[in-house]
Parts: sequence; structure tokens; C-alpha cells
Amino acid sequence: MRSSGIKTFFAAWLCLTAVVFTNNCTTTGSGKYYGRTTAPAEDHLRYVSGSEPQSLDPAVPTGQPEARVIMALFDGLVEYHPKSMEAMPAIAESWEASEDGTEYIFHLRKNATFSNGVPITAKDFDYSFKRALAPELAAENAYLAYYIKYAQPYNSGSVFVKRPDGSFIHQYEVDPDEKAPEQSAAPDTFGGDTPKHRQLDEPLRLTLPGGEKERAELLEKDPKLKALVDGKEFVQVTADDVGYEVIDDHTFRVKLLQPAPYFIGLLAHQYFRVVHKDTVEKYGEQWTRPENIVTSGAFRLAAHRPYDELNLVKDPTYWDAANVHLERLDIYPLEDQTTMQNLYKAGSVDATYNHTVPAGWIDNIKQYKDEYLNLPEAAIQYYAIHIRKKPMDDIKVRRAFALAIDREALARFRKTLVPLADFTPEGIFPRYEEARTKVYSEFLKRDGITPEEWEKRIFDPERARKLLEEAGYPVEQRGGVWVCPTFPVEGVNVVYNTSESNKSVAEFLQAQWKQNLGITVPLNNMEWQTFLPTTKALDYSGFARRGWVADYMDPFTFLALFYSEKNDSSTGWHDRRYDKLLDDANRQHDAVRRYEMLAEAEYLMMREQVVIPLATNATNWIKKPYVKGLYPNAGTVHAWKFVYIERDPAKWDKDVENIMEQTDQKVDEQIARLMQTQVDRENASKAATLAAAK
Amino acid sequence: MSNNETLKGTSLWKDAWKRLLKNKLAVFGLVVIVLMVIAVTIGPAIIRMTTGYTADYVPTDIGEGELVASFPPSMAHPMGTDELGRDMLARVLQGGRISLMVGIISTLVSLIVGVSWGAIAGYMGGRVDNIMMRIVDIIYAIPYILVVIVLLSVFGGPNTPEWIQWLSSKFGGAGNQGLNQIFLLFFALGLVSWLTMARVVRGQILSLKNQEFVLAAKATGVSTPAIIFRHLVPNALGPVIVYATLTVPSVMLTEAFLSFLGIGVQAPYASWGSLASDGIQNIAVFPWQLIFPGVTMALTLFSLNFLGDGLRDALDPQTRKF
Amino acid sequence: MLSFILRRLLLIIPMALLVVTVTWGLIRIAPGNFYISERALPEAVERNIREKYGLDRPWYVQYGKMMWNIVRGDFGNSLKYRGQPVNEIIRRHFPYSATIGILAYLLALLVGLTTGIIAALKQNSPFDYGSMAVSMLGLSVPNFVLGPLLVLVFALWLFWLPPARWGGISSLILPVITLSAIYIAYLARLTRAGMLEVMRSDYIRTARAKGLDEKTVLLKHGLRGGIIPVVSFTGPALASLLAGTVVVEKVFAIPGLGNIFIQSVLNRDEPLILGIVAFLSILVMVFNLLVDISYGFLDPRIRYD
Repeated sequence: MRSSGIKTFFAAWLCLTAVVFTNNCTTTGSGKYYGRTTAPAEDHLRYVSGSEPQSLDPAVPTGQPEARVIMALFDGLVEYHPKSMEAMPAIAESWEASEDGTEYIFHLRKNATFSNGVPITAKDFDYSFKRALAPELAAENAYLAYYIKYAQPYNSGSVFVKRPDGSFIHQYEVDPDEKAPEQSAAPDTFGGDTPKHRQLDEPLRLTLPGGEKERAELLEKDPKLKALVDGKEFVQVTADDVGYEVIDDHTFRVKLLQPAPYFIGLLAHQYFRVVHKDTVEKYGEQWTRPENIVTSGAFRLAAHRPYDELNLVKDPTYWDAANVHLERLDIYPLEDQTTMQNLYKAGSVDATYNHTVPAGWIDNIKQYKDEYLNLPEAAIQYYAIHIRKKPMDDIKVRRAFALAIDREALARFRKTLVPLADFTPEGIFPRYEEARTKVYSEFLKRDGITPEEWEKRIFDPERARKLLEEAGYPVEQRGGVWVCPTFPVEGVNVVYNTSESNKSVAEFLQAQWKQNLGITVPLNNMEWQTFLPTTKALDYSGFARRGWVADYMDPFTFLALFYSEKNDSSTGWHDRRYDKLLDDANRQHDAVRRYEMLAEAEYLMMREQVVIPLATNATNWIKKPYVKGLYPNAGTVHAWKFVYIERDPAKWDKDVENIMEQTDQKVDEQIARLMQTQVDRENASKAATLAAAK
Repeated sequence: MSNNETLKGTSLWKDAWKRLLKNKLAVFGLVVIVLMVIAVTIGPAIIRMTTGYTADYVPTDIGEGELVASFPPSMAHPMGTDELGRDMLARVLQGGRISLMVGIISTLVSLIVGVSWGAIAGYMGGRVDNIMMRIVDIIYAIPYILVVIVLLSVFGGPNTPEWIQWLSSKFGGAGNQGLNQIFLLFFALGLVSWLTMARVVRGQILSLKNQEFVLAAKATGVSTPAIIFRHLVPNALGPVIVYATLTVPSVMLTEAFLSFLGIGVQAPYASWGSLASDGIQNIAVFPWQLIFPGVTMALTLFSLNFLGDGLRDALDPQTRKF
Repeated sequence: MLSFILRRLLLIIPMALLVVTVTWGLIRIAPGNFYISERALPEAVERNIREKYGLDRPWYVQYGKMMWNIVRGDFGNSLKYRGQPVNEIIRRHFPYSATIGILAYLLALLVGLTTGIIAALKQNSPFDYGSMAVSMLGLSVPNFVLGPLLVLVFALWLFWLPPARWGGISSLILPVITLSAIYIAYLARLTRAGMLEVMRSDYIRTARAKGLDEKTVLLKHGLRGGIIPVVSFTGPALASLLAGTVVVEKVFAIPGLGNIFIQSVLNRDEPLILGIVAFLSILVMVFNLLVDISYGFLDPRIRYD
């Protein structure tokens, strides 16, 4: 009996001493691979995906852990490319966009079915998309569909205004900036002429709040509008008004509010996946239980033990089942980094999600080159500055704090980060970065900034101290250290939500500021639910740690953070010129020109230094060498049908420098085959345009 | 039984002290704790003066990044450094301040509130006992994490009462807003730490209150408070002291857990518990980051218990006869 | 006695409701809500959510509705985990916590009681010092340190036991040992102290004087009184063990109630918080009642009026 207590003691003692003397617990076996490495006999992947999914209903949850599960269970019109995350054909074999970029026609494949064998048609997409917008569902992701015509008014419960003659009042009639659109004589025939199409092509109708009180308040403020709508009928915006149209069983039309070049990429999001109407309506909120669920993806849900595991098995009725390699996919909802690393080492899991290797372990694990995956993500870290409070209302002070941070040292210290001095992530949008370099060089000339000075924006303590002095807070050297006695440090704080990495970054920055400016900024960590309202309500002073993850692969997803007066940036900054630049950019059809305009906006915002960009995140996760077709893409969302288990050790990756540039015949062929239908469509339309030109 | 204490009067404590000094382990415990208290009180200042390191001092040539890393123990850093290159010795000493404060304050609360509450409930019995113990049950069932969250949001940040700000400025130097939170934490921990103590004491008192010496005291007209605190409580002292020494580690760990959730001690400060929980993650790579705070904490708790046992024996004159 | 038990049982319900009310108030004061995220939700979406969950109604209506549901034993659906009934979550995850909790407590009883009794009988002997020192180790090595250390040795070096996750008896060993370490220490020390106290009380002396042999004195009379502090401690200890311990559940990836409860608080998932709080408070109160009842059996001097 007492030996158990002694055993406990002994074990602890044993480990402690062993650790001290050998100084390395982690290399075992041959040392070639990390921990136990034996490929499973079956095509079976065990994956750690973060927290327990909030829901398996594609329309409901917002997080990445859910996205990864839903991507296995449900298919959409398009799917993420496993490497680049661009949209590639899924249930939509191909698609085409109208000339003005506001309309898309999707051609659906005919052999897609739900897991119960029922064919998937355009009607199912129509239902799924409209359901996801329904106010009764109260989906947090609904805003993702707001680019679609009348989606926002429907989701918000707004009303149209109808004249007695049956026509509607249009937006251009009340908006002084908008001109009446030219009425073309011939109706737009793109995708066929239908009554619904005509309704969608009609100029944008005016929408007003559905709630009487809210509406009355709005009209009270705007007498002109009030006069215009007085005595008119208010008609509720319904699901039928939204810009979705079923042209036939296999043709689906989407009408956008304005051109959105990133729209196709956005459609791969889990929010736009197709669900089975009868099942959803029959079981209500319980429809995602394993016994009720009907899925549309490559896998079906065999069992779900919350907080323990989800068992997914290949769906033989899936339209592309012949090319789904895994027979079984087990997803473990785990969040503790040490625990999942232990499971990985013991050979109990095959891969983990992003940011899962603890900072202290990285030096040790990164030697297993083919297992450790660390590439830039479409996600950034930055400190927002509350620019309305003293002393941070002074741009010189803001710049001083930004320049006093050695981002290279920060990146070296955290080991996984890429230093960042702009707001859009480094190395994610190469074409945008090209356009930006061009735009910036013009602006720098205009503003009289030398390229050297611009280069040094990543770290320039000299200039930082000079700026502080200009702002009235001289920094002096006393006894070998910098001090800034006049700086009102009580009005400045760093708030961040609790996490190991946020803490050590905050401590690092605190030390940098102390060293380079002589200012010790107090740190204040909070649990997430306290932190969010504090930063949102601008209830902090100084700096707030923020991060942002792309919704889709376009820089706009980052720049939109500062769009409009009530923006998400938590800085209190807003500029009409910025909004206009973004609007104009999105109306621009030429991709390069559009990027240039976005870059102009980014320059405008960054010159104000309303944020201190710190770093582009990196993926930082591990997979066993026998897991193939699983790539460290910028969003850590995986199209599971490309993943396979390679049992032949000879074919495992060996000393791969960059896995993204590595060819894998099996995966590459699979991708090419899927892309073919869309490539054909594009070639055909190009040929048609050429023929027409002739 | 020991109802002859009153006759001994003032010499009781003197005797106990003498007996305590005879107990080698207890003396060892006492010495370690006194040294520990001295170390955490003046230690950080000494280190700052001799080597220039403080708990939040990150090496200055940060630009190179070479010193901002975990270094094993050396002459300059007897306990090594943490991942930011900060001196672990300074951090352990500074962490000791917070951990010892947490332990002592919560234990005092549990002794004062818990013992009186439990003793009164147990002795009075009946309706009073019932109501008092049901209150304990209710407080015990309220999730303390929620209490801490609410406490910090209502009294934390800019709303911190002035006297707490004053206290933390005395305690950690000017501009240490981060320490406000730890003072709020003392309340939260104190609020829950006395509950089990109250139950333990009540259980003891229930079994003692019908014994002859109590009945005798009652018959001779001794007042109720006197019976409770002069006759009953001293006789229940054994389990009370043991339980009090058990309270210290448990509140230290609760504090570490709250820090882990982001509602405990504020960076760059740390406590032993939070140092150990940071250290365990890197045990395979940088073992000193766990061993030194861990061993320091264990040594303190060990000593505390030896002292507790010694005190228990010393205060109980009957022990030696058995 | 029977009426005492009955009265206490009846009292549990209003007390649990009181606990729920206080908790509900605390949730309302605490900042944040279950749907808040980094991205500001469009007003319409937020309004839809508030309407869906009745958060737009006056507080007394919400409170009344909540209480009415609880009185009927229905805690509704989780807000964060849409469509999952709270009752089902508790039913599903309680057994995990209960299994390791009970096993850990049994182990602790076995080791702790025995060590405590022997140490008390052989006071100041090497065994006494040794066992108390070992038990101190259990107390001063936090479980978030002990757990990973055990994993390191038995799962990652020796590959004897799985490092984490639920499944089979072998997966229970490490979490149970980790969880019981601190309770072994508590029980050993409380038993030792309680026994020392009792062994020199009058009735033991009487028993000895009557010429009963030492074993009978010890087991029949000494132990009964000596373990009273242990019993007082057992109520809350067992209740909190059954409720699950966050650290052990996290380290060993066990889907127990403890972690779910902490998450629900951090998520401000009101129905789930209230459901678990109500369940746990009833559990605590029932255990405390059992403790009070057992006092009477253990020590005939304790009487209930």
C-alpha cells in the first residue's frame, strides 16, 4: 500500500535526475524520426484539431477546428486547393463570371449525392444558402454572405419601400453620391433571361430597418427620406429576394451587390457548404447528431464522443469516392500542447493543427525536417493603439513606440514568426506585394522618405527617441541606460488575453521599450471574455494585443478591418478617404490596378501608425512522415480527400526544404484532374471571345 | 483531560515554546521558513545591487537576441535563466513573495473565520448550526472562478480601490499596476479557503462538546464564548493545525491555476506555482526552469509541515504522556 | 434521525436554487457573452442572436423563465454548443470524472488511512517521519507537475502506458495516481492527527483500563473517533473529485466534467454553467449530509436534535 506513494515519489525523482544528467528526454529510437514512427496498416488518419466543435452544422460555427471537421463532412460549390487555398471545382464542375463581375453562374456536376443517396441539385444550394442567412438561425457567420445582393437586408429583417404603382424606391433615388444607372434596352442575357434575373438586375432597392422604432428614428433624422417614403408600403425582404437563383437543377446563379474579386475564394468557406433540407427540417437543432446527420462530403460521421473523438469514415456514395484515399479519419479535440505532443511522440496521433509545438521545444523538433512544418500563415499579430487618448493621440509617440521594437529579434525569440512592418502578411499574397512595392516607391518619393529610412521602419531606436523628444518627452541617458522621466506612463498599458505566447511577446516588448525608450509600460492580461469587451469598447489605454486571420485569400480581408466608422480595429481610427479607396478598388476589374489601390489604402493607414504590426504567424505544426497530401497551407484548412498514408518508407519525404514546392505525383494528378473541368470552361469562353472579336 | 490549562495560565505558551525547541524537525522547519521569509523580503534587493538582475530584467543586448534565451545555471545565474533570459533566482525570490503572501493570508483567513465559524456552529448546534453550515454549503457550491472574474472586472483595472493601489505600490514599487490583481486574488482565495476548515472544526467540536470537561465548565457558569474558545478550540487544535498547513499548498496551487486561466498574477511577475507550471512544459529541454522553483516551493511546504506538526505536539501537553 | 435526514434533504432543493440564483447574477455581472468574438458582429446578427435566446427580454422575465425550467429539471440547451441539451452533457461527461475520482479516492483511502494509522501508532518513529515526508511530497508536487512527469517516465521513456486519452484500464493508471497523490497526503496527515488526538482521550483510556487488547482498542474505539476529521474532509473532497479536476483532465485529455465546467465559465455559456452548478451543489450537499449522518455512527457522543 505505502509502496504506491513511494513509487510515485520514486518516479518523480527518477525523472528529475535523469533529466538533469542527460539533459534530453526527447530523442529516442533511431533518432531519425520524432518518437514512434510506424505507418498504420490501414488508411487511417488520427488528427488533433483543437477545441471541441461548437456545432457540425456548416452554417453555425466560426472557428478553424470546426471548419476542418465540416470540410470532411460537407462539400460546397468549390473546395480549397490543398496548397494554395485557391478555389477549385467541387460540386460545381465549373463557373463563369459576368463581364461586370457581379454575377456568377455555377455548373453543377450531375453525380453528386448526399450520404443518403439523394442527388444534390442547385435547389439544395439555394436552400442551404438561404437557410444560413435566415434571421431565425442567427448564424454568426452570416456576414460572409453580405456581398450577395439583398443578403444583408434579409438577414437583418429589413424592408423594401413600395410605391402604390407596384414599383420600388431605389437606393440611387436617396443617395446623393449615386447616379441613376443607365437603362440598357436589351436585358442582360448572361445565364439566361428569367423573371428572377430581371429582379436581380434591377437597380439596388432602398432598404430600411424592419423594426418600427428603429425606422422611425432613422426617418426622424432624415426629413428628405421621410418625405420620400411617407405613405408608401413597407415590404419585408424575404429569402426569395436574395441574389440566389436556381436556373435549372444543375445551374445556379449568384448575384453580388458589387464586384468582389475574392468571392469565389470565399465560397470554399464552410459556411457555404450544402446541407440536406429534409433532415435539417425534420430534426431541427438535433440534425447533426450521428444518428440523424446526412452529409454531402467525402466522409460521413460514424460516431461523435464530444471532447474525446469524432470518427469519420469514407462515404462510398460520394461523387469522387474513387479518389478519396483515407478509409477513416479520427479527429481528436485536444487543446493542451504538451498532451498532444506526447500523443504524437508515442505514435498515437499522426498530425496536429497549427501553433501546436511549444516555443521551448521548437529547436529540438525542427531538426525533424520532414515532420515539422513551419510556413507563413495568412494571419498576423499586431498591437492596436487607442489613438484617442493621450499621449497616444500624438502620431510621433505612436511612431516612436513602433520604431523601438526590434521585430527581427522578436521573430528570433519566438522562433516561428516572420517580422512584419506592414499590415498585410508577408509572403502570402505575392502579386499584391509586387503591386505594393510599386505604389509605395511612388509615395515615398512624394513624401520625401528615403528608401533607407523606409527599410529601417522595422527597427530604428535612434529615430524613435528623436520622435519622442519632438513630442515633448525627451529621452536621456543616465548611468548607461535610457530614461524618459516626463513620459506619462500611467496613461499607457498593454492589454492582452492570456496565453503563453501573448505573455512572452508582451514581456519582450515591455523589455524593448524599457531598453530603447526608457519607458516601462505595465502589462495587463485578461481572460478572453473580459478582454474582448474591453478592447471593443476602447476601454483601454495604450496598446491592445490583436491578431487577425484571413477569411479568404485576398489582402482585402485584412484591410477591411479599418473600413467604415464602426470598424473592428479597436483603435478608434477612421478615415473616409480610406473607405473610398477600398470601395473603388473593389469596383476595379483589373487585378493589378485593384491591388495598387488597396496598397494605397494600406499606405494611408500605416502612415498614421494606428497599429504596430509585429509579425506574420507561421503554421508551426507536425505530421508523421507517412502522412502525405497534408500541406501547411496559409489557413490550416485541409481538403481531406487529398490526404493519404504512404506505407513505403522509401517514398516518405526526405530532407525536404519546402514541402509546398515538393511534387507529389498522386496529389498533383488528382488536383489537375479536378481542375480540368474549369480549365476547359475558361478555354472555351476564351475561344468564344476570340471568335466574337474576329 | 486538559481542562487544567487555565491553572497553568501564562506559562502555557512558554512551555509550548520550550517543547517546540526540543523537536529537531520543527526547529529545522522554523529556521527554513524564517530564512525563506528573509530571503524573499530582502533577497531581490540584494540581487539587484550585486548583479543588477531583477525578476523582470531582460538582458540589454536584446537586439542581438543571443542573451534572450534559456541558459542553464552558471556563476552569473545560479538558477539559470528563463526563456527571456531573466535570472531565475530573482524570479524565484520574487515569486516567493507572492506565493507566501497568498499562503499566509488565505491560511489566516481560514484560521480566523473557519475556526470560529465551525466552533460556534458545532457548539451551538440545532438551528444555529444548521443555518451556519448551510451557508457554508452554499458558498462552497458557488463557482469561485466566476467570483474571481466578477471581482476582477468590478474592482480591477481602473476601478481598483485606492488602498489596494497603495498596497501594491508599497509592495512592488511604483507603477506596478499588475500587482493590484494579486491583492484582489487574496480576497477571492480567502473567501473559499475557510470553508473546509469550518467543517473540520465543527466535526471535532461535535465530538468534544458532550465531554465531561465541557459539562463541568458549563456547570461552573463559564460563558459560552469562553467555553468555545478557551476549552473546546484548544482541544481541537491538532487537526486544525494540520489542516491549516494543508491549506497553504492548496491555495498556492489554486493561485497557479488562476494565473493559468489569466485571472491570477500579472506578468512580468510570477509566483512559484506559475513558474512551475511554465517550467513543466519545458521539462525535457530546460529542466532548471522547473526544478528550482519546484524544489524551493517543496522545501518551504515541507518545512511548514514539520513546523505544523511540532506546534501541534508542543501545544498539546498530553502528547508526551502517551 | 429520520426526520433530521428528511429535513436536510428537503432543504437541499431551495439551497441549490439559491446557489443557481447567485451564480446567475454573477454571470450577468461578469463581462463578455457567449457569442462575442474578435470580429464585431453586424448589428443585425447580434440582434438575431439576442432574439433567438430571449436576451432582449427584461431580466426578471429571463430569470423567471430560467427558474421555471430548472424547477422542472430542464436546463435547456447549451448556447456555445448549439443543440446540445445541458442535461445530456452532464449525463455524458459525469461518468468519466466519477470513474477517475472514485478510483483516486479509493486509492487515497487505502494508502492514506493505513499510513496515517501506522504513523500515529508509531509516533516519532522512522516510519512516522518517512511516511509523513513522502506524503508531503504528494502535497508539494502540484498535480500539473506530477502528471507530466509520470507521463514522461511511463509513457514516453518506457512506453508502458498510454500518454493520454480515455480507453482501457491502462489509460486510467496515470491519471488516478496523479489525482490521488494529494489526497493520500491529506488523508495520511489528517488520520495521523485525528488518531493521536483520540488515543489519549478518556474513553480510550477507559477501554484500555478495562483490559481490552490493543487491537480492539485501536480498531473498534480509536479508529471510529480518529477518522472524524477524515470524514469531515471526505465530503467536500469526494464531491470535488467527482466533479472532475481540470488539470488532470487536461493533461490526460479525459472528457470529464471539470474541464467542461471551466470552459463553460470562460465561454459564458449560461445554461451549461447553471446546470453544472446545480448538479454539483446538490452533489456537495448530499455528501455533506452523508458526512453529518456518519458522525452519529462514528461517535456515539454526537447527537442530532
